Amino acid sequence: MTNKAAKWYWGIPLWILAIAFLAPFAWMLSTALKQDVDAYRIPMQWIPDPVQWDNLKTVLTGETSVLPAFGRSVFVAVLRVAGELFTATMAGYAFARISFKGRDKLFLLYLATAIIPAQLLLVPRFIYFQKLGLYDTLWALILPGMFTVLGTFLMRQFFVSQPAEFAEAARMDGANEWQIFSRIYLPLASPVMSALGILAFVWSWNDYETPLVLISSPENYTLPLSLTNFVDEQGQIAPGLTMAASVVSIVPVLLVFVILQRRFIAAMTHTGIK
Amino acid sequence: MRRKGFSRREVLAGLGAVGAAAVVPGCSGGGGGKSSVLQVWGGVPAASGPQAVVEAFEKKFPQYKVNYTRFVNDERGNLKLDTALQGGLDIDVYFTYAQANLALRAGSGLAADLTERVRADPDLQVFLDTDQPRAYLDNGRVKALATAREPFFVLFNEKLRQQAGVELPQSWTIEDYRATAKRLTTHSTIGAYTIPDLARIALGPNYWYDGDKSNFGNPHFEQGFRLGREMIAEGSVFPWSEVLSRHLNAYQQNSFLKAEFHLWSTAPFNLRYLYDAKKYPHDFKVSFAPPPTVDGNDWNGGAYSNFVMVNPKSPKADAAWEFVKFWLTEGSAPMLKGGKLPTLGNVTDDQVITGMLGKEPDKFFDVDSFNKVVLTKEQKLATDTRLTGFPEISLAYNQQRDLCWLGEKDPAPAIDEVRRLADAAIARNERSSE
Amino acid sequence: MTTATVAAAPAVRAERAPGIKPRGWIGFLFIAPNLLGVLAFTLIPLVSVIALAFTDWNLVSGVGGITFTGLDNFVAIARDPGFWNAVGLTLLYVGVSVPLTVVLGLALGIALNRPLPGRSILRAIFFLPYIVNVVAIGMTWLMLMNPKAGLVNQVLEVFGIQPGWFASSNWALPALIVMAVWGGVGYCSLIYLSALQDAPKQLYEAADIDGAGAWAKFRTITWPSLLPTTVFLLVTLIIGASQGFGLIALITSGGPGDSTTTISYYMYQTGFQFYRFGYASAIGLVTFAGVLALTLLTWRAQRGRALND
Repeated sequence: MTNKAAKWYWGIPLWILAIAFLAPFAWMLSTALKQDVDAYRIPMQWIPDPVQWDNLKTVLTGETSVLPAFGRSVFVAVLRVAGELFTATMAGYAFARISFKGRDKLFLLYLATAIIPAQLLLVPRFIYFQKLGLYDTLWALILPGMFTVLGTFLMRQFFVSQPAEFAEAARMDGANEWQIFSRIYLPLASPVMSALGILAFVWSWNDYETPLVLISSPENYTLPLSLTNFVDEQGQIAPGLTMAASVVSIVPVLLVFVILQRRFIAAMTHTGIK
Repeated sequence: MRRKGFSRREVLAGLGAVGAAAVVPGCSGGGGGKSSVLQVWGGVPAASGPQAVVEAFEKKFPQYKVNYTRFVNDERGNLKLDTALQGGLDIDVYFTYAQANLALRAGSGLAADLTERVRADPDLQVFLDTDQPRAYLDNGRVKALATAREPFFVLFNEKLRQQAGVELPQSWTIEDYRATAKRLTTHSTIGAYTIPDLARIALGPNYWYDGDKSNFGNPHFEQGFRLGREMIAEGSVFPWSEVLSRHLNAYQQNSFLKAEFHLWSTAPFNLRYLYDAKKYPHDFKVSFAPPPTVDGNDWNGGAYSNFVMVNPKSPKADAAWEFVKFWLTEGSAPMLKGGKLPTLGNVTDDQVITGMLGKEPDKFFDVDSFNKVVLTKEQKLATDTRLTGFPEISLAYNQQRDLCWLGEKDPAPAIDEVRRLADAAIARNERSSE
Repeated sequence: MTTATVAAAPAVRAERAPGIKPRGWIGFLFIAPNLLGVLAFTLIPLVSVIALAFTDWNLVSGVGGITFTGLDNFVAIARDPGFWNAVGLTLLYVGVSVPLTVVLGLALGIALNRPLPGRSILRAIFFLPYIVNVVAIGMTWLMLMNPKAGLVNQVLEVFGIQPGWFASSNWALPALIVMAVWGGVGYCSLIYLSALQDAPKQLYEAADIDGAGAWAKFRTITWPSLLPTTVFLLVTLIIGASQGFGLIALITSGGPGDSTTTISYYMYQTGFQFYRFGYASAIGLVTFAGVLALTLLTWRAQRGRALND
């Protein structure tokens, strides 16, 4: 079998699988352009009839346009990603490369906080953030998102896999710990940081529950929360508009992914995740 | 947290566009409770009526400013409201929709005692009525006032009704309902979406409770489970597997508009789907019939609802009361749009018709039957006053009903299980409230 | 394990040698920004959750309404059939969905590691489910799994099976598992893919010279090098699956009956629907203990293989 034939030998079944994976997305796209009455129609309607371009128009430019929320979501996501990268990289580095007493125990304790069901935190967080004066501000979303355990976990796994000899050599040359971190290890970490960046962006972008409880003014709605504009007081979701908004909201994440994808793969390559 | 509502309003006025609300930065400050703006929280989107009520109020009382905050009326949204009230957030007036929340909030000091204010107002005497309560009373004190009347009725698809040659009933029994549904069932249309709550019609308010036990031993409950199951089996009621797998409870209107089923037992809030030709196109008129009676009993399944409450911590109690009263009386008309019939009935029939049935009522409705069923008929609405363990019981009931109507469990064991769970829930709640 | 880490392992041990200890406070300095943030925004509210587990509280009664009840909640949990039903369902859900996701993710990762036509597009397609918001996913799968007319059953008709999916108490949990696998498999494959990039090429070449077959190579070279990645995925997926309830809330609300009321959803019902916050916190604490035990087990397994630092 030639290389090219081998490529297609694996390629064809994978593409078939990929198309199966895409079926739900095809339906999402089609529902985004449907009238509400047709969304749950049986048999399934794959081609919208009539095509309701108005859904996109309403979502983008209507009274309850998601665009302002879009902007806020980008703002929140960018700050969260930046903060997360900064704090998680340093903490991950220390947990992996600087030995001190009780380090691994502390790390396990750290990891344990990620296991507590997040639901339970909503009420205490509300009361607490209100006392801090953060309630109904975007900072209530940004600040907790800047300091996460999973990000630290990911970075730790990367630094653990890097050889310690670099540090030893640098130390002999009189470099201090900060210099060792920032000049030697940090440059190596740029690919894994872009990986963490993608994940942190996705986490921030799709976070619904935190803003639901901590934000109340429509002026501060983020994207997932602005979807509730398409939910009436009976809790009924307007399917066409919700789907249109969801489809629109995939675009930036997909862009971030595609741009960083090569680095992401490369980054994951270097994390040596355990 | 205090929001400087005035800046929002000014900018709104300045830009004039509704979309502008989005560009105004959310302000926040420390402390709270001293803002000059009346803070109102409700579950209805501002554009579906509340904003118009607020504007009319501000016009009449220029000394007051009102900021309406919409919360999503689901579990998490209500939890947020509770937490906000408890956490001392600046809220003066708020709405409660679910029965369970009503009892909890009224009984936990989150609702101001409005008894004296209601007594002092000749327009509001009806809220003191305990036979057909329109207020929620906690130990004899008025804690919440129903803003809306939600009578149930049965809708007919006129086109299909005439094709089938079925009379529009003026009064009918549950057996008639079944027979009619059967007659209306064709190869493409199922007779009825589901059956009305039979036990509710027979037993009226507080029908889940019998002393300190649950009332599910009453045969009407099993009868309801059985009737639903039999009608599903004979094909005259929508298959429950379809209802669950398409979430039809939330989207009944779509299937009704597509003539997937015929009889629709529903309430005023669903009428708004029936006159919007652009978003919900359909080519038939809709007529109204009263709910069927059960064993000679004619409780309407609907209730007084959409309760308004005043936060006892509000420093603006007088302004808050002024607003509540305005909403209940002269300000109630804009809420008709969302299907909220005012409790006090202080709107003209014409206002109701154009408010609830759209600009061209005759095009989409048989207005005559609307007049007879909704406007002139005095419905016996049942508003519950006992709500012990309400959410647990309602979950148990829904779970067992699903299993029964899917055909996985017989009516008798299903209702027995509801009874067991409800008794346990009542016992536990009585114990913990001691 | 990758070649890089294998090579690094002795060095790590060397670093642990005495004499390099006094840098402890510097370590804390590096950790401080993250640690203080986690402390301030997560740990402080967390402590109150733990405290609430020993109380009876309905939230609306305020702080004054908190009644200390000692171990009552835990005694009640032990006797609560609803809780044990949820434990069983959760074990089933986690026990099937997590290994399935990992195995399929591994297969997909290996496949995506080959030269393929449109490889980067393929990788993006399989990652896509991870980024779509949960409301859209719920709405879509509800339609796809419609027992009568959904796409899934149209395909399955070929095999003569027509599951009732969300309209059946036997099929609702399997339906959720299918969705979980769909959502997680691309994510797993990406992480596996990255681990495969570092595959020890010289070992493969040596195996080729020895004339080893594909399976032998996978078993002796690829799989051992992927073991740490697998452990990582297991830990994170177990945490995710035991906490995840968004789709359940959106699609089944725990039903039909209580057939999809997993622990996390049961806890949600208890707290958010019944307003029994003390009891819900206690359930959360018990769940926490269970998942922590599983995590420590997998952590130990990884240490036992001396592949960790």
